Amino acid sequence: MTAFRALTVVTLRALLGRRRTLLIALLGGLPILVAVLIRVGGGRPDAAPILDTLVIRTVLPLVALVLGTAALGSEIDDGTVIFQLLKPIARWRIALAKTSVAAGMTAALVLPPMVVTGLLLGGINPTSIGLAGGFTIAALVGGIAYAVGFTALGLVTSRALIVGLGYTLIWEGVLAGILEGTRFLSIRQATLGVAASLTGRDVGVEPLTPTVSLVILAAVVVTGFAIATLRLRRFQVRAAD
Amino acid sequence: MTAGVPAIQLDHVSRWYGNVVAVNDVSFALGPGVTGLLGPNGAGKTTLLHLLAGLLAPSAGAVRVAGRPAFGDPSIYRFVGLVPEREAVPDYLTGREFVRLNADLQGLGDPGAATDRAIGTVELGDAADRPIGTYSKGMRQRIKLASALVHEPRILLLDEPFNGMDPRQRLHMMDLLRRMAAEGRAILFSSHILEEVERLAEAVLVVYAGRLAASGDFRSIRRLMTDRPHRFTIRSSDDRGLAAALLAHPAVFGLELLDGRLAVQASDLTGFARGIAPIARSAGIRLYELTATDDTLESVFSYLVRR
Repeated sequence: MTAFRALTVVTLRALLGRRRTLLIALLGGLPILVAVLIRVGGGRPDAAPILDTLVIRTVLPLVALVLGTAALGSEIDDGTVIFQLLKPIARWRIALAKTSVAAGMTAALVLPPMVVTGLLLGGINPTSIGLAGGFTIAALVGGIAYAVGFTALGLVTSRALIVGLGYTLIWEGVLAGILEGTRFLSIRQATLGVAASLTGRDVGVEPLTPTVSLVILAAVVVTGFAIATLRLRRFQVRAAD
Repeated sequence: MTAGVPAIQLDHVSRWYGNVVAVNDVSFALGPGVTGLLGPNGAGKTTLLHLLAGLLAPSAGAVRVAGRPAFGDPSIYRFVGLVPEREAVPDYLTGREFVRLNADLQGLGDPGAATDRAIGTVELGDAADRPIGTYSKGMRQRIKLASALVHEPRILLLDEPFNGMDPRQRLHMMDLLRRMAAEGRAILFSSHILEEVERLAEAVLVVYAGRLAASGDFRSIRRLMTDRPHRFTIRSSDDRGLAAALLAHPAVFGLELLDGRLAVQASDLTGFARGIAPIARSAGIRLYELTATDDTLESVFSYLVRR
């Protein structure tokens, strides 16, 4: 097995072994439950607001936050990161393995429920498939940006979960509605921009253009990856004795 | 490793955290062989090992392994192995999976064979397929050692490797480290237990309060330790009479009559210990109690630093 694959596998195993991951997998499946309840209740509303509000605004950032901060932050907290760092592996490869696992797991937990939810609500027809597909692609690119950003955050602060929650709830949630300018520093708004352009649906705010959205998401990924690599290069253990 | 370049070299190295100094202006160089890093808890041993393993950057000075700066160069891990004391190992892996993972991360040509060899070296074959979570502390130490040995490093750093081991495991580990040193490896292990260092190390570095208090071969350091002034308090049937008799003993250089006790300062521990009973007997004095008042490792270290 190559060093990179070994890193990926051990990160994945560590993530799958955490109780948090199980809880967050349940959160990932929540939209399906909501869709089932709606159908059982006889309703058949438009899928778009559910995919937008519930998945992209709520489930996606929370799943990415928990997985991203766990991918490296938790390994630093419990000290198991040391035996990975004491290896002749370029630090960017470690950053790539960790961010890839965080992004891949986020996608695995959020996207399938999203497709199922979209189809449950909209039925299996071209319009519904197009809508679910558009939101899923948007959640994929947005999820990658969230996961990479939160993985980097886990290397910058040991309170990454709190800081990340603050960013999602306050910056993206509250301030975006008050201060127009925060849109350009919001992964959520960029993700919704992509979703709006793919589905042609109203996403509640004036959407960012697809180009601006993709530039923002790419900038988050590149910056997050660079920060993770640099922090790993300068990594130091905490005071021991 | 280039010939003539010390395996490990510290040049006026200090490391501080805020205004706490953990390591203070330490310089030494080591080649192949077993060296003990001796000092009480909190002396800065782990900080020194972390500096050598590139897990900490020095605040001042230079740390080199095999001639290269230890910090910020992952390629040193091709020939450096560290067995950390506290850092956790993933409990959900079996011993074999953990060692194999380390072999894979090292990018070894035949990681399977290297894994088997390392597990055989630490004699953990029987337990290798159990999760590490079920291991005793001694077994965890050994699986950590196997993982640090899997790439056969020329420089091996061990932080308190004997902690939690039973006497048999301890002897086995000592044999193992001796054998590896005989193969030309540079081995530096830390310990706060004098006897461990005495039995294993050819050379000793004594650290106390972040400073290098003494260095050299064990015998010379042992002599420093036994020759230092020792303090005793004695309770006897006649303290004043005993004081008069002891004054003639060449090792005794200080006597003080305290309330119901006699405080003695002696230079030569063994000489004094042999002499005290016959002296008391010939003076017709009964000894009730003899206590060494400062024979803690702490006082030994602080004495070495003051010298």
